[in-house]
Amino acid sequence: MRNILTIAGKELRSYFTSPMAYVLAVFYLGIIGYIFTAIFLLMPQAETENIRDLIGSMLFLALFIVPILTMGLIAQERASRTMELLMTRPVRDWEVVVGKFLGAMGLFTSVIIMSLIYPAILAAVAKVDWMMILTGYLGLLLAGAAFVALGILASSLTSNQIAAAILAIFMLLFFWLVGTLSYAVSHNLGDVFKHLSVLENYQDFSKGIIDTKNIIYFVSLVFVGLFLAVRAVENRRTI
Amino acid sequence: MIQAEGLTKYYAQHPAIVDVSFQVNDGEIVAFLGPNGAGKTTTMRILTGYMPPTFGTARVAGFDLTEQSLQARRNIGYMPEAVALYPDMRVHQYLNYCGRLQGMGKAELAERMEYVIDRCGLSERASSIIGTLSMGFRQRVGLAQAMLHNPPVLILDEPTVGLDPNQIVEVRNLIKSLAGDHTVLLSTHILPEAQMTCERVIIINKGEIVAEGSPQALTAQLRQAETLLVTVRDDDGTVARQIKNIPKVVEVSSAEQTGSYYIETEVGSDLRADISKFIVDRGWGLLELRPVEMSLEDVFRELTTEEKGVA
Repeated sequence: MRNILTIAGKELRSYFTSPMAYVLAVFYLGIIGYIFTAIFLLMPQAETENIRDLIGSMLFLALFIVPILTMGLIAQERASRTMELLMTRPVRDWEVVVGKFLGAMGLFTSVIIMSLIYPAILAAVAKVDWMMILTGYLGLLLAGAAFVALGILASSLTSNQIAAAILAIFMLLFFWLVGTLSYAVSHNLGDVFKHLSVLENYQDFSKGIIDTKNIIYFVSLVFVGLFLAVRAVENRRTI
Repeated sequence: MIQAEGLTKYYAQHPAIVDVSFQVNDGEIVAFLGPNGAGKTTTMRILTGYMPPTFGTARVAGFDLTEQSLQARRNIGYMPEAVALYPDMRVHQYLNYCGRLQGMGKAELAERMEYVIDRCGLSERASSIIGTLSMGFRQRVGLAQAMLHNPPVLILDEPTVGLDPNQIVEVRNLIKSLAGDHTVLLSTHILPEAQMTCERVIIINKGEIVAEGSPQALTAQLRQAETLLVTVRDDDGTVARQIKNIPKVVEVSSAEQTGSYYIETEVGSDLRADISKFIVDRGWGLLELRPVEMSLEDVFRELTTEEKGVA
């Protein structure tokens, strides 16, 4: 546990010593702020329920933000050869991967928490359904965790950060869009695609419903992503 | 203690090292010497648990690198070649991070940090950002992190590369001072370094160990002929031919200077008296007669270019 926290702390700190954390946070919160303004100031028929759309757009933006957050986690260590010293420490491979996962989650979570400013502003002038907002945020966090895990997987497969980011975006877009395939195929297969879809599994959260099925989906994505990343790290030792 | 037994490592089809076996005893400093690409780094990466060998076993401090990798790694301080550090961290932050990953407690870590920062001459740079340090200081940080957890075994891959001459001397002295308390395996392609810092040298070439022993033993072992350098004043052109006829002389070849010749004689024969008398008798005017020592450098060149094994 100590090793995991040491690595997580180091990753989180290095986000903040580089411009990365600030650029991403400003960019992300800025765009969310713009969408917030667009919905509630420019749409005359907007209702407080539209906050759901705002959280939905935050999830969509995370498809592109998270890969940038995770692209360097392992790829960068490989490229700069710091991986060698890390892997010769008395630290298990999975501890490295999980530590990095928690580090990236730390940054993602703090940005998400900062974005609570928008619902708070809305709450100041109108009555909002906080339960729905919080379940929406829970969904956002769970989906974000799955994105981070897949991002780390992509980062573990190459030593090129840009390639890792692009690969991660493709993987995330796959899970985002796979649900739409359900319209093109038979009923049974379509169900499979729907179950695989991030969007489908997120829907309930945005409506204020917490369903274990959806939680299990995101948690499994996290496990699969991290498990494969550990295998990739182990494999790379032999090269 | 470091034990390597039959280490073989294939990268795809290409063998980087083949059947490498050696032992480094407790408290010994051993140089792993070889030209670039000989397999030094590959061997060290196996010994530090970075990657497994294709065949063979390695044990460090009594722990098998494959079976008990974590315990073995706990007992190793490793400084990779051109040590890569995190450029955005400060020196003390980095060392703190390394110490925690080595499982050191807070008090112990604070104490050891102070010690290695002092020993490695980093006192003034302890709070510098690593990215702003010169190559020499980065090497020292690399050495400091290897020594930090006071490991019984230190594996140093080319520890003096990139240092200026003064720093090289400092680092060599530092490494020498580790003998006794630590078992040190250091790789180098610089011969004088091996000769100066180490008690024993293992020479590796093209993935195979070609010689092993103390620098003195290696030079003696490899010497297949005694060589004398002789210089005469009045060379009538027949000197070489006539000396060749002296019993036990194997070969005579001209040296750079006119009138100078290298005389190779059979091993164990000392012909200095005979040759000097021979020259004086013929009135050539003997100016110089001395044995030519074979340096470790010659041994190295002989072994690595002609692949002549003596091990």
